[in-house]
Amino acid sequence: MATRTTKRELQPSLVSPPVAGIASLFIPGLGQALARQVQRGLTLFGSLVTLVGLFAWQVSLLATREQGIGAKFVKALDRRPAFVIPILALIVILWLWIAWDAYRQAQPGQRGGLSVFALVLALFFILGWKISEINLYKLATELSDAKGPLSRVLWPWEAAVTRDVETTVAGADILSPCDDLPPPSPPVETPGEPYVVADPTCGDLSQQVEEGGVLKTVPGTLLTVVGRGFEPNTETQIWWSDPIGNKFQMRQEGRYLAIMTDDEGAFQIEIHMPYRLIPPSSEGRQVHRVEARQVSSVGDLKFSDALKHNVEKMVETIVLGMMATLFGIIFSVPVSFLAARNLMSGSPLTMALYYITRTLLNIVRSIEPLIWAILAGVIVGLGPFAGVIALTVHSIAALGKLYSESIESIDPGPIEAIQATGATRLQTIMYAVVPQMIPPFVSFSIYRWDINVRMSTVIGLVGGGGIGFLLTQYIRLLDYRSAGIAVWFIAITVATLDYVSAEIRQRFV
Amino acid sequence: MFQIKNLTKIYDDGTVALRDVSFEVADGEFLVIIGLSGSGKSTLLRCINRLIDPTGGQIIWDGVDISAAEPAQLRQIRRQIGMIFQHFNLVKRSNVLTNVLSGRLGYVNPWSSLLHRFPAEDREMAMAALKRVGIADQAHKRVDELSGGQQQRVGIARALMQQPRMILADEPVASLDPVLAHSILEHLERLNQEEKITVLCSLHYLDLVQRYATRVIGLRDGQIVYRGSREEIRAMTDREFKDIYGEEAVRVSVVPQGREE
Repeated sequence: MATRTTKRELQPSLVSPPVAGIASLFIPGLGQALARQVQRGLTLFGSLVTLVGLFAWQVSLLATREQGIGAKFVKALDRRPAFVIPILALIVILWLWIAWDAYRQAQPGQRGGLSVFALVLALFFILGWKISEINLYKLATELSDAKGPLSRVLWPWEAAVTRDVETTVAGADILSPCDDLPPPSPPVETPGEPYVVADPTCGDLSQQVEEGGVLKTVPGTLLTVVGRGFEPNTETQIWWSDPIGNKFQMRQEGRYLAIMTDDEGAFQIEIHMPYRLIPPSSEGRQVHRVEARQVSSVGDLKFSDALKHNVEKMVETIVLGMMATLFGIIFSVPVSFLAARNLMSGSPLTMALYYITRTLLNIVRSIEPLIWAILAGVIVGLGPFAGVIALTVHSIAALGKLYSESIESIDPGPIEAIQATGATRLQTIMYAVVPQMIPPFVSFSIYRWDINVRMSTVIGLVGGGGIGFLLTQYIRLLDYRSAGIAVWFIAITVATLDYVSAEIRQRFV
Repeated sequence: MFQIKNLTKIYDDGTVALRDVSFEVADGEFLVIIGLSGSGKSTLLRCINRLIDPTGGQIIWDGVDISAAEPAQLRQIRRQIGMIFQHFNLVKRSNVLTNVLSGRLGYVNPWSSLLHRFPAEDREMAMAALKRVGIADQAHKRVDELSGGQQQRVGIARALMQQPRMILADEPVASLDPVLAHSILEHLERLNQEEKITVLCSLHYLDLVQRYATRVIGLRDGQIVYRGSREEIRAMTDREFKDIYGEEAVRVSVVPQGREE
C-alpha cells in the first residue's frame, strides 16, 4: 500500500469510498472532487455533460417534428435504433463507471486509472463519426461515379486543341397540332443539295401527364424522316427546332439521336415528336422543324478557346499575386517598425502604438484572404483588383508580423559598435540594422510571393479574378476537360514557384 | 589627461552598476580594469563614450565634459574613441572592407555614406589598416567566413579607421584562445606604444594583466577596490587577487605551459 506516492498519503480523501461513489452517482465527478481529485472530477463531469448534450442534440435532429423530450426520444429510437440504443447504453455505463471510479479514488493509497478516460474518448469518437456524417460505405460504393470527371481532369489535353467545323443542315417543317388548314408542304428538292422530308407534316407533341402522383410521358406522333443528298457514310445528328427558336439535339432512351448515312448519302429514321413547353402567349400556328445535321472538321488543328482562356487567366493570376506581394512589402515595412518591441519600447506612447499595431495585425491576419476578397469585391466589384486588395491586406498583416519579429531578433552588438564610431542614427540603421535585416526580409518576401500566387489561384472562387474564377465556371458547366487544363496550369505554376522560391531563398540566406 | 569623477550608474530596474567611481588616466597609458563578471567593467567602459548614459558624475577628457555633451558634440568625441568588443560586434553578413570602412562613418559625409560611398583615401586607409593587423588578403571575404582571431583584428582595424586618441576594449580576448589573446593584445600594445593611444581595457586573466598593463584598477560591485601600478600588479599576491575576485577565485594561466599554483 505504501508504494504509491507520498503526496496521496498526505491528502487523504475527505469521505469514505462508498460515500464518494454515491456522490458521483448523483452528480458525476462530485465523488472524485471529495476524494481530493478535483481536476479529475471536473474533467469527468464536463465530459459527461458534453456527451449527454451531443446525444440530446442528435436525438432532436432525428425527431424535429415531435414535441417534448419523451416523444422525440421515442421517435428517434424508432428511426435509428442502431444509433440510439448503443450510445445510450454507453452513456449509462460511463455514468456508473464514474461512480465506481469515485469509489476507487476515495480508497487510501489509490490513484490514477485511465480506463474511464478511454471510454470517454470512445464515446466522443462515435458521436463525432455520426455528427460529421462519415459514410465509408458511400465512399466505397460511389467512388466509381468520379471516374468520368476525374479522368478528364487528369488528362484534359484533348480539349486543348480544336478544328474548325462545317455543318451541313437540311430540315422540314412540322405543324403542331394539326388544324383545318393544309399542313406545311415538304421542301423542294434540289439535286445534289441535302434534303429532308418528314411524314406526316403535322402531329402532336409528346405530353407529360400526372397519373396518381407519377409523371408519365405520352409519346407524340411518330414521324418518318427521310434524308437524301448528304455525305455518304457519315454520322448525321437529328435536331429539333421549336417555334420560339430553341434548338436541341433529340434523344431517344437517354442517348443523342444520330444515324449513319448509306453509300448514297441517304437515311431514314422514325422519331416521336418530342416534349416541348410552348409559352401560351405565342400566337398563330406552331410550326416546328426537324433537322438533320452533319458536322465535319475542316482545317488545321488550332488551340482551343479553353486553352487560350486558361493561359490568359493564368498570367492574370501570377501578375495578381505579384502585385499583391509588391504592395504588401511596401506597406508592411513601415508597419513592421511600429510592431517591433525593441524599437518601440522607448515611451508609454510608442508602447501603446506597438500594442495597437500588434492587435490590428493579429485581427487582420486571422481573417482569410477569401473573406477579404468578398469584402473588396463589394467595394471595387468582381475582378482581379478585388483579389489584389484582398491579398495585399493579408500580406501586410502577415509580413508585418514576420518582419517585426526579425527586427526584434537582430543582434544589438553591431548597433553599439557603429554608434561608438560617431555615426548618426541614420548611418547606424544603414550599417548595423539593414544588413542584418536583409536575409529574413528576402526570405519572408519570397515566401509570401509563393503563398500569394498560390492563394490567387483560389481567390477567383469568390470573384477575386484569376484562374480560380475560370475553374469554378468550368466545373459548374461540367466542362471537366477545360477545368482539368486549369488544374494542370495551377499545379505547374505552384510547383515551379515552389522550386524557384526555395532556390532564391537558399542563395540569399 | 582623462578624468572620471564620482561616476554612478543605476539601471532602470534599480541595479547599481557603478557607485561613485573616480580615477584618472594619463595620456598614453595602458589601463587595465579587472573584476568579476557583473562588477561593472562593461558599464564603466560604455559610460565613457556614452553608449550608456551615466546617472551621475563627470567624465572629463582634456577639459571637455563628455557626460554633458550634446548629440552633435558627442559624435565628434565618439569618433576619436575606438572601441573593441568581446563578441567583435561586426556585421557578419557584410564583407571585411565594409566593416572596416564603417569605422570612418563619423568623418565622412553622412548622406553619401548611406549609399556605401567612401572617398578613395578612406579605402586606401582601410587596406592599410587591414595590412597592419595582418589580414589584408581577407578584405573581400564575408566576416562570418573568418576565424575568431581574424574577426577581432577586423575589429581593431575598424577602431584604427577612427584615428583614435583612445581605445576602449571590453574584454577583447575573452572569446579567443590563449595564443590568439596574446597576438591581439600585442596589437593593442603596439598602438599604445607607437602612437601613444590611451588604452582602457578590461581583462580577466591575471597573466595578461601582468604582461600588458601599465596601470590597473579593480572593480567589485561597482566600486573601485584596487589601484596598482605596473610594478604593483606584477608583485600582486594571491591575497590581493582574492580581495578583488572573491574567496573562491583560482588563478588560471592562459599560457599552456604556465605555472601551477
